[in-house]
Amino acid sequence: MDMLQNPEFLSRLQFAFLAMFHILWPPLTVGLAIIILGLEATWLKTKNIFYYHQTRFWIRIFMINFGVGVISGIPMEFSFGTNWGPFSIASGDFFGNILGFETAMAFMLEAGFLGIMLFGWNRVSGRMHLFATSMVVLGSTLSVFWIMVANSWMQTPAGVEYVNGKFIINDYLAAVFNPDLGHAFWHMFIACIELSLVVVAGVSAYYLLKQREIDFFLPAFKLAVLALVIITPLQILIGDSAGGALAHTQPAKLAAIEAHWETNPPGEGAAWAVLAIPDAAKQRNLWEWTIPDALSLIVTHSFTGTVVGLRDFKPEDQPPIWIPFYAFRIMLAAGVFMALMALWTAWLLWRNKTRMSHENISQNKWLLRGWILAIPAAYLAVEMGWMVREIGRQPWIVYGMMRTQHGVSELPLATVQWSLLSFFVFYLAIGIAAFYFMRHVLRQGPAYEAAPKYIKNKNRPMSPMNDGGY
Amino acid sequence: MDAFSLDNPHHLLASIWFAIIGLFLIFYVILDGFDLGMGILSLAAPNEQYRGAMMSSIGSIWDANETWLVIVGGTLFGAFPLVYGTVLHGLYIPITLMLLGFIMRGVSFEFYALSSRKKLWGIAFGLGSLLAVIAQGFALGGLLNGIKIENGLFTGDVFDWFSPFSLMVVLGVIAGYSVMGANYMILKFTGELQKHAYARSKIFSGWMLFFAGIVTIWTPLQYPSILERWFTLPNFFAFALLPLAALFCFYMLFRALARCEERAPFIWSLLIFMFSFIGLAASLFPYIVPGAITIDQAAAPTNTLVFMLLGIGMLIPVMIAYNIYQYSVFSGKINPDAPSHHD
Repeated sequence: MDMLQNPEFLSRLQFAFLAMFHILWPPLTVGLAIIILGLEATWLKTKNIFYYHQTRFWIRIFMINFGVGVISGIPMEFSFGTNWGPFSIASGDFFGNILGFETAMAFMLEAGFLGIMLFGWNRVSGRMHLFATSMVVLGSTLSVFWIMVANSWMQTPAGVEYVNGKFIINDYLAAVFNPDLGHAFWHMFIACIELSLVVVAGVSAYYLLKQREIDFFLPAFKLAVLALVIITPLQILIGDSAGGALAHTQPAKLAAIEAHWETNPPGEGAAWAVLAIPDAAKQRNLWEWTIPDALSLIVTHSFTGTVVGLRDFKPEDQPPIWIPFYAFRIMLAAGVFMALMALWTAWLLWRNKTRMSHENISQNKWLLRGWILAIPAAYLAVEMGWMVREIGRQPWIVYGMMRTQHGVSELPLATVQWSLLSFFVFYLAIGIAAFYFMRHVLRQGPAYEAAPKYIKNKNRPMSPMNDGGY
Repeated sequence: MDAFSLDNPHHLLASIWFAIIGLFLIFYVILDGFDLGMGILSLAAPNEQYRGAMMSSIGSIWDANETWLVIVGGTLFGAFPLVYGTVLHGLYIPITLMLLGFIMRGVSFEFYALSSRKKLWGIAFGLGSLLAVIAQGFALGGLLNGIKIENGLFTGDVFDWFSPFSLMVVLGVIAGYSVMGANYMILKFTGELQKHAYARSKIFSGWMLFFAGIVTIWTPLQYPSILERWFTLPNFFAFALLPLAALFCFYMLFRALARCEERAPFIWSLLIFMFSFIGLAASLFPYIVPGAITIDQAAAPTNTLVFMLLGIGMLIPVMIAYNIYQYSVFSGKINPDAPSHHD
């Protein structure tokens, strides 16, 4: 493989690998934190121990996930300096500034209250603990916001001029609230919530299928599914709106996502390729299965709306096509699958509402298996979405302004090969271990901890872990 | 343009950011210093139960401690992009090794608590800590060695950070962090484990003094500009104060250890770190990369520095406040001989 002999490509591959591994963890952290906050608040309000047990169970899943998310995030921050030095120097005035905001406003807030959230049950009052949990929620949500500010600015850079290889900021607010930010933030934030609800529904389905802890997981299952009835279609709508916006902000990316080569003439609709074999060398699809006018309809919401084709861009300005095209379709399929699961289940619940019991839901084995399958589907959708977004941005590191090849640090081939391989081996080991321990927690099931008594004396000779209850 | 004039707002802002990042870095070095140091010491923990106690004593705070470095990274990136893009590039290998060390020790915390194979994750925690500390030593040594920069890009070799000098820095950092770790253990534990920590602290304090002395003498010898700054009057009196203050702290540290005091050793070692750090920053200033880049050259434009100051500057007391709160929630002695409740 020639590409593996190219340090620039390896730096890209390394960043892609770090990002793809990292993004497996924060979505569940963000979404589950919100769910946990809701459960904990309900417990404090109702004093019903059921909600306390729910809180504690999901916190155990949260904990494994959080740690891996933190340690896999740090390498990404440092990668900008190590592998993307020229990009960092050119864009630091804005991009670095925003990452600085993220670290101080979001990461520290999360970290500063996380210890209390995880281990402080018997050390602070119920209200204080709830406050700590809500600060973790605020911190993680703010981190989604700031990271999407930084990332969306790379997609639709606004408020800056690119002069002599450096981005000069003219308008801070325009750069922060760049055209892509709204779609980017909401699509990612809702993805976090959707994925977390799917994990709750899928894990609950696993217990229902095993006929274990039914009184504990049936309510969790129903609640998660009902929320998903609203969330899954909402996410598809946001995605559709984001796609429409691409036509104005990143037309080459849109054309690559759809393997759409030729701009449709006025008065004629553009066809949507359901599947295709695109060929960049020949600048056309070798084979395609299309639906007439559908692309115009999807993008412009009119049968004859103009959609710019890839051939309007010089080949050196075109993004790769295969990955964005297929990754987008996989994401879409996963999203539709989750929405259909939610609707199907909601319909069953509604139909059976008078005789809704664990018998008739637990007997529907295919429904429960479907929800377990929805867990990998949710993760797949997130991964594919990011691939569409970042590979579709190529060949630019800052869309339309700075090319990726001008942002990379010059490094010896062997050095990047070594670091890439090291990260790969470490992450593989961690991924396997985390999976194993998640399974371990699931096999154990809820621990039904005794509720805290809010002992004021915190100087008891105990270790913090002992308060964690496991 | 006079780089030293304080009626130059850009220079003033750049100096403020140099100081703020220095403050964040010293928070990091002290806070993660003791938990990394305890990680190193955990490799020679007397038994598995004590190792478990050592790890769980920082289970609730290590994440916040490490986050100070994340903040250093983020603010350095924004306020001094030129430094971020050249120094990290030049220190590619030590930085990568540090990250791998962080990964190893970070996951070990969690997996240790969940796993039945405690020893495996305990050793991974110790080795990860050691790796991160060695890498930080090489990064600091490499920075003090100088980073070769031409036309605003790193042009040196990927192994420039490796030298006899940086090796001395590594040994000094290992010893220093271990002292911090041991002194934290003295503060936190009772019984046999505390006695063990006293013994460790005495040994590593000696080594720390030895290597700190070598590095303190060697650093100015590498840079005529620093040498000149130190040994011209009246600067000499000001600069001589820092090593003298550090020596005094070493004396007090040894005395506190001999008297088996519980809090004092931690505080004296903390002050040693502070004086060393201030000495280093004062020697470098106005350079941020010694001999290559001054803070004015590296700093982002005035509007960025102001925007960041508005966003982050006001948060500094808030961040400090809730970190102190979290520490206070988990304050108090731990008896490592009490039966563990890990399942």
